[in-house]
Amino acid sequence: MSNSQTFNPAKTNRAHLGRKRALLHVVIFSTLIVSWETGSRIGLLDPLFYPSPSSILNSAWTIYVANATIWYHLYATLGLVFLGFLAGSIFGTGLGAIVGFNSVVRRFLKPYVIVLEATPRIAVAPLLIAALGFGSASKIAIIMLVCFFAPFINTLSGVVNVNEDKLELFKSLRASKLQILKKLVLPEAIPVMMAGERLALTAALSGALVAEFIQRDKGLGSMILIYTRNLNMASAFACIFTLTVIGFLIFRGMEWLDHRIAFWKNEAGLARVSTKRARKMEGF
Amino acid sequence: MSVVSSEAAREQSRVPIGVKFFQLAPHFALFVFLLIIWEVAVATDLIKSIMIPAPSAIVASIIELYFTKGTIYYHFGITFAEAVLGFTIGAAIAVILAVSSALSEPFKRYIAPYAILLNVTPGIALTPVIIAWFGYGMGSKIALAAVLCFFPIYVNTLTGLIQRDEDREDLFRSLGAADILIFTKLRLPSALPMFFAGLKIGLTTALIGAVVAEFSQATDGVGVLMNRFSFQLNMASSIATLLSMTLIGLILFYTMEFLDDRIVFWRREARRASVSWAKRRAYKRRVK
Amino acid sequence: MDKSIVSDDVVVRANGLGKSFGEGAVIALEKASFDIKRGSFVSLVGPSGCGKSTLLRLISGLIEKSSGSVQVHGDEVQAPRPEVAMMFQKATLLDWRTSLENVLLPTELNGNVTREDEQKAADLLRLVGLKDFLFSFPSQLSGGMQQRVALARLLQTGADVLLLDEPFGALDEFTRDRLNVELMRIVGEVGATTLFVTHNITEAIYLADQVFVMTPRPGRIAEIINVDFERPRPLSIQTTPEFNKLVAHVRDVLGEDH
Repeated sequence: MSNSQTFNPAKTNRAHLGRKRALLHVVIFSTLIVSWETGSRIGLLDPLFYPSPSSILNSAWTIYVANATIWYHLYATLGLVFLGFLAGSIFGTGLGAIVGFNSVVRRFLKPYVIVLEATPRIAVAPLLIAALGFGSASKIAIIMLVCFFAPFINTLSGVVNVNEDKLELFKSLRASKLQILKKLVLPEAIPVMMAGERLALTAALSGALVAEFIQRDKGLGSMILIYTRNLNMASAFACIFTLTVIGFLIFRGMEWLDHRIAFWKNEAGLARVSTKRARKMEGF
Repeated sequence: MSVVSSEAAREQSRVPIGVKFFQLAPHFALFVFLLIIWEVAVATDLIKSIMIPAPSAIVASIIELYFTKGTIYYHFGITFAEAVLGFTIGAAIAVILAVSSALSEPFKRYIAPYAILLNVTPGIALTPVIIAWFGYGMGSKIALAAVLCFFPIYVNTLTGLIQRDEDREDLFRSLGAADILIFTKLRLPSALPMFFAGLKIGLTTALIGAVVAEFSQATDGVGVLMNRFSFQLNMASSIATLLSMTLIGLILFYTMEFLDDRIVFWRREARRASVSWAKRRAYKRRVK
Repeated sequence: MDKSIVSDDVVVRANGLGKSFGEGAVIALEKASFDIKRGSFVSLVGPSGCGKSTLLRLISGLIEKSSGSVQVHGDEVQAPRPEVAMMFQKATLLDWRTSLENVLLPTELNGNVTREDEQKAADLLRLVGLKDFLFSFPSQLSGGMQQRVALARLLQTGADVLLLDEPFGALDEFTRDRLNVELMRIVGEVGATTLFVTHNITEAIYLADQVFVMTPRPGRIAEIINVDFERPRPLSIQTTPEFNKLVAHVRDVLGEDH
């Protein structure tokens, strides 16, 4: 055969399947959008309460481009989330580690942790606003509170639940406590800690929104509330979809970070680091 | 809920009363000690009572809310009902979709992107919209609770159903079991542990949904009460109300723990032993 | 041809060594006394609960004795020490380290890692047949390969007393045979004194110069059997009548105390 390309029927079949499936996704999505739009136009869905896709797009254009009102609020919310998350998760991780290393403290702290876990922490929002007043301080305090818990519990768990066999190995090699900490406890705890941080970031976003719902001054949460009150549902939905995008970016971003930091838990990471280390140690 | 609380719940159920007392005594002592320090700190103005009220004020408020005026029961009931109803609806929809997804690969594939979008959007952002749609009454709280608890239950149930034990399925097939029997007698029971894990998360989330919705707009419920007290700067009553939310949370959690323990009995040693015993008794009775 | 590379120098000496748990309620090991000479290979064989793992851990210093004494190179064992290294039933590799880095762990814990150390570690991995897997991670390796990395790590310590607690127990028979042959060769080459725990009688006799036959309830050394076959020993020796006489004898000793 003079043709340089090899013909693989299995491969082309799979490619066809992939394309067929993608097409079906698109068809389903478009059908939903079209029926939604039509329902709105013919009055089946009251456009006052259930905005049509076209009106949502229209509002999106207005708030993003024409009047560009949303950017200020977007940055306001994101700024809060970032600051609150950083503060809350660092505090949670640090405290989790400290409590993890101290079994006495851990025993006495247990009932309070159970009570704290049962309480919807976000419920403290009005209290904090009343105590600290309106403004960014109380908002950040709320965010810190909601995103403290997951890193705390996860770091605590990671530090406490060290693999027994590995611990015995280190002891048989006469490792010092510091070495055990640095070379065993920390790497072992990293995957669980990352999981905690991911939960915290998600909670931080929700916390920011609740704070803004109550304070109603600025930020995406306030915007959604105000638009809804004015029955400008289209703009409200535009903001909600903005949050979907943000949420998706956060999800993907954290997943990427997770795969890089806890590289040994996924195949791609293993391959990548393996080649990296092989290259570093030439001449073996 | 997390490992910490489940473990604690399990440990506590196996210990006799006398020993329990001695176990709890130091905790109790510490608690009282902390309360005393707190009270003194507020009395000497070390902590401003406007920001953090004294324990005595909180206790006074608790007495008023629960006993003297008894205002809390109505609101407690409302929020509790909102959380439970929202949870039931969300869980029902989640289970139906999860079972459908587990049984039909195409179904799962085509609703997956929408499920992801729902998961990725902070559900709380929908609060004002849901209130606009469902009104100011309990409806919107139940709706938000349902929306928030849907995804964790869906994901956990689906994961539980999807994890297939090839060896066990081969066993069933070799015994001539039809597909439907394999599903009901193998895959469903195998999925129960993960299912309950999802339910526990869902319950917590549903409560959050109910409370947050109450913050935004409502007349009844502990969320409203807490909001009102906070804005009247009545911190003591606000915290007392917060504690009632903790109580709701604890009731819900331990109820779910109880159900988990009884239904997924094979995961707990103590339960395994007692179920084994019960079955032995029943067998003996039948054989006699 | 070496008949035996065992010298007269006693490396491990135990005198009435015993271990009990729960204030004497459970006797894991009852008064063991023995001498182990330099370069010898000792198998500890017996069913569960006979105290073989306990004995190993007592020599390694990981657990404290309840009675009697145990000495390595003349010094009483108090805690883990550099002359003694242990290998466990689970490979216990660190998932976030490459094979090379796992082998280098003992060196790392003892101070700085030099270029020579790295070279030695690489050579050891080649010795156990993993020259193409220096930079692989444990989850990319099979069970047998992981145990080989653990073996290389054991040798990296430079210890002359090697304690192996059923290291190949979780592997299939073919891999196990292969690894046993390699183990004997390597251990002979470096002149180490080896204690090998197993519940497989054939394996115990095949590998060892001395077999400690241990029985449970309470755990104790029932008999010490000398195995005088020449080294190097081919696998085929397991089918000879002399070998099987020993196997029958060990079974007898174990059978009595059931």
